[in-house]
Amino acid sequence: MAGKIVADTLEHSTAGSLDTQYVVNGSAKAWNSFQGTGTIVFIKSFQCSSLVDANTGDYDVNLTSAMDSTSYSVLVSSGYNVVHNASETLGYANTTTQYSTLHYENNTRYDIPYLSGQINGDLA
Amino acid sequence: MQTPSFKGTHLFDRLCWAKENLEGVQSDYRVVYEDSVDECAKILVPDPNFCAAYLQGGILPPVEVYWALADDEAKPDFKRHTRGYLLHEMQPIEAGTMEQCIEYLIMKDLPRHVWQTWDSGNKPKMVICHKDQLPSTREWRNAWKIKDDLTTEKIAA
Repeated sequence: MAGKIVADTLEHSTAGSLDTQYVVNGSAKAWNSFQGTGTIVFIKSFQCSSLVDANTGDYDVNLTSAMDSTSYSVLVSSGYNVVHNASETLGYANTTTQYSTLHYENNTRYDIPYLSGQINGDLA
Repeated sequence: MQTPSFKGTHLFDRLCWAKENLEGVQSDYRVVYEDSVDECAKILVPDPNFCAAYLQGGILPPVEVYWALADDEAKPDFKRHTRGYLLHEMQPIEAGTMEQCIEYLIMKDLPRHVWQTWDSGNKPKMVICHKDQLPSTREWRNAWKIKDDLTTEKIAA
């Protein structure tokens, strides 16, 4: 691939140096934003293969490249238009290539117009 | 645009190249399936970047790689993948059509018991449709089912 730089360390003139492992390990391995109402659809994404509308307020995201185990970090959030105050959005890994997002309001699953997710961890 | 020779290149790097160089392709196809008789129907929505990578060719691994990893993961003593290299080292698949892309996604992302036996039993477990064939509102979403009297047509050769 053109423009490839191979380096184990990045060094700043005054602020010190950084092992590139920190960059590799600390970067998000997948991310997405999607519309969770109407006909659900990805808005923007990276490293995702598909989205599953599983039920009211229940969505699965499938990844293109597998994570090395199911112990990866799933960070999800819901956007605007939360109807009730007691709202909660949960994310958890199902498999190394799929995680789920659930959105609740007043202890009931609700569809929400905008959700986003980010995966951190090690790739397989 | 010509895809670089990616055999042996980490899949993540290939996807970075695709994200930077290919325009996402929104598919109108949806896959409706029933994973369990006790649950409502689910709907699979293809990712635009994934579709673009499939249509481009030379980026994605053969779907059999995902089956091999899923088999490993299903073992009771599974802790972490030891054959992740299959994703990166297998010869990437050639360019295909959007219909072939949907077939690939079905075999990658749907439970195997759904697509392997989709047409056995009292009614189909899986249907490919256009998004405008889905209900226009999400009313009673938790009760959506594939119609019992649905007739299907095999179009694959």
